[in-house]
Amino acid sequence: MSGVIRNRKAYLVFLLPGLLFYLFAVFYPIIDSVRISFMKWGGIGPMKFIGLANYTKLFTDHVFYKSFFNNLVYLVIVVGMQLLIGLLFAVLLTYMKKHVSLVKTLYYVPCIITTVAVGQMFRSMYATEPMGLFNIILDSVGLESLARSWLADINTVLAAVSIPEGWRFTGMYMVIYYAALISLDPQVSEAAEIDGANAWQTLWKIKLPMIRPVIILSLTMCITGALRGFDVPFLLTNGGPGNESELLSTYMYKQAFSSNQFGYGSAIAVFIIVESILAVFILRMITRNREAI
Amino acid sequence: MKKVVIAMLVFFISMPFLMAGGSSESADDVVTVTWYASRPLGGEIDTAIREIAEDYSQEMGGKWKLEVETTADRPSYLQKLKTLIAGGNMPDIIDIDADPYCQELVDAGMLVNVKQFLEDEGLYDDYHEVALRYQEFVDGTMYTLPLEYHIEMIWYNKTIFEQYGLEAPETMDEWLEICRVLDENGITPISVDGVDRWPVLRYMAMIPFRYSGNQYIIDLRDGKASMGDDLGRKAIEFVQEIGQYFNDGFAATDYATAQSMFLDGKSAMYYIGDWEQNPMLEKYLAGEIDYFLLPMVDGAVTGPNEYCANSGIGMAFNVETFDEKTKGFIMYLIEHYGDVYASKMQMSPMKGELPADVEFTPLYHRIAEDMGNYGSAFMKPWDTYLDPATNTILQDNLLLLASGDMDAETFIQLVDQSIAENT
Repeated sequence: MSGVIRNRKAYLVFLLPGLLFYLFAVFYPIIDSVRISFMKWGGIGPMKFIGLANYTKLFTDHVFYKSFFNNLVYLVIVVGMQLLIGLLFAVLLTYMKKHVSLVKTLYYVPCIITTVAVGQMFRSMYATEPMGLFNIILDSVGLESLARSWLADINTVLAAVSIPEGWRFTGMYMVIYYAALISLDPQVSEAAEIDGANAWQTLWKIKLPMIRPVIILSLTMCITGALRGFDVPFLLTNGGPGNESELLSTYMYKQAFSSNQFGYGSAIAVFIIVESILAVFILRMITRNREAI
Repeated sequence: MKKVVIAMLVFFISMPFLMAGGSSESADDVVTVTWYASRPLGGEIDTAIREIAEDYSQEMGGKWKLEVETTADRPSYLQKLKTLIAGGNMPDIIDIDADPYCQELVDAGMLVNVKQFLEDEGLYDDYHEVALRYQEFVDGTMYTLPLEYHIEMIWYNKTIFEQYGLEAPETMDEWLEICRVLDENGITPISVDGVDRWPVLRYMAMIPFRYSGNQYIIDLRDGKASMGDDLGRKAIEFVQEIGQYFNDGFAATDYATAQSMFLDGKSAMYYIGDWEQNPMLEKYLAGEIDYFLLPMVDGAVTGPNEYCANSGIGMAFNVETFDEKTKGFIMYLIEHYGDVYASKMQMSPMKGELPADVEFTPLYHRIAEDMGNYGSAFMKPWDTYLDPATNTILQDNLLLLASGDMDAETFIQLVDQSIAENT
């Protein structure tokens, strides 16, 4: 049996199901999206080849631009919350001596709550009728003038749909960072302390650089996740009011499935894929350059 | 030996994939008809059809059954339906409005001509005329079967009205004046479900309907009228004006919240159809709430007894499986539906006496009387006329228009541009 495991062909056999699944569930839809993006198709009947028309339309569509910039704001909020707060909690957790597992579990709970429930919960918290949690808190601290329907106000809706997504996965990144931090060799930190480094310096100069690969990996996951962000914003506002909380993915979905413009929707989908690949590429370039320095 | 082990591994690992490609037909010869439905699960239509299907199944000796898959939320339903059809998996029975997407299905030869079917079978006259006409396309053809019949009205809180010396309005100006008085006294005049979009779209359609019937929206759709025309501007001004009397944050207010606001006395008025008569009944009987019908304007071409009447989303049939699997059931359904549905205190699209063994409420009788007095024109929702892309743009931006976050010119430009591009 051990001979089979050593056999290189056996590796291929074990890889086959995953590879087939990837080809059918990921690669084929991407290729098909690229194909459909050159077509005009309403979902019924034959497709009509229209060349690059869907792509040229992208660059004259003001809603597309708005969605793109909204997506950048969404990305900043989500990545900021997930990485910075996640990292902060992970660092604080390393100083805890008791009930670490309990705290980890509690912070991780939002990740396993279904998206619809998260959406409904935040919808209630943002509401004015009946008064939601955010407005109750503002009211109780004498800031009732700031109370509003956070999802209906065009000045707050984008942040309001970004925060639930950030909140939801903060715990997951906290667990990842915590695992990385506690796996560090304690002797390194102790040596730094003996050399006179304070806690802040130890964290900043020793621990964080040592978990850098984990930070880069989680940053990649987080950025690509935020660029594809869809479910919570779609559930909360459907991109509205107007297009004030429209993201590229919600716009893509609406174009394809509400407006029946599958070709144009696919062109936006292709843009999202290219944008995600580009973001990862830029991130890798930056981190490589830093490594070179 | 190694090769045997590898071959076995390949076989077992590939099993799920091989099986996934197999046939899903069961071994027995039961005919299964699928209905992809957009009706509230456990609602009156859903239960009426399930009951009738169960009876039909028994009559067929258990060799026929109806499989119902429900997505009550309309936008999700339409998106899933479009995906199913785009993927070549159209169910035997679907729910659909007589909208441009439905027209595309008709043009592709995918739907049964229901008008033809009803006439051929001598069933056309069994239905209320308005219920059937609502299902028609502009050219008079009909591919969807109505399962309900409704009128829409503006419910109001009598207690609040009496407190401020107000009476149910007869004109749009009186209606706006009532809103102004209530607003000045710190009462939320109207609660609106903005999440679902369509209730706000009804307000957009009100003024054009009074001045032109459905002609303005037909002309707008066909590119013969602009949103910036006199009638379009009147509609916009009305939405802007009445929009300031909607509840705060109406864009994020859902159906249930808007309704409970009204029933809890937190808003004075609420626009909804008779399908919500059951929740309204208790307060109606207690004399706390009442309703009025769409107010009038000077120079209106439609009468006070003409407003938004509809027969809801219709039922359409896959032409490929109709004769073989569905037709017998639909004949049976039409024969029994009127009685079964009316006995659930619902307004049936079919003519006929009310079941004698059911005691109908005073509210039911009043609504039935209004239906009996109905004229001939009916305000048809705009989303059943406009193409999907324009609908999306119109509904998205209408919320901004009503909340005062978008000016009329931008709105006009967006709608006109979309119609020019997509028709």
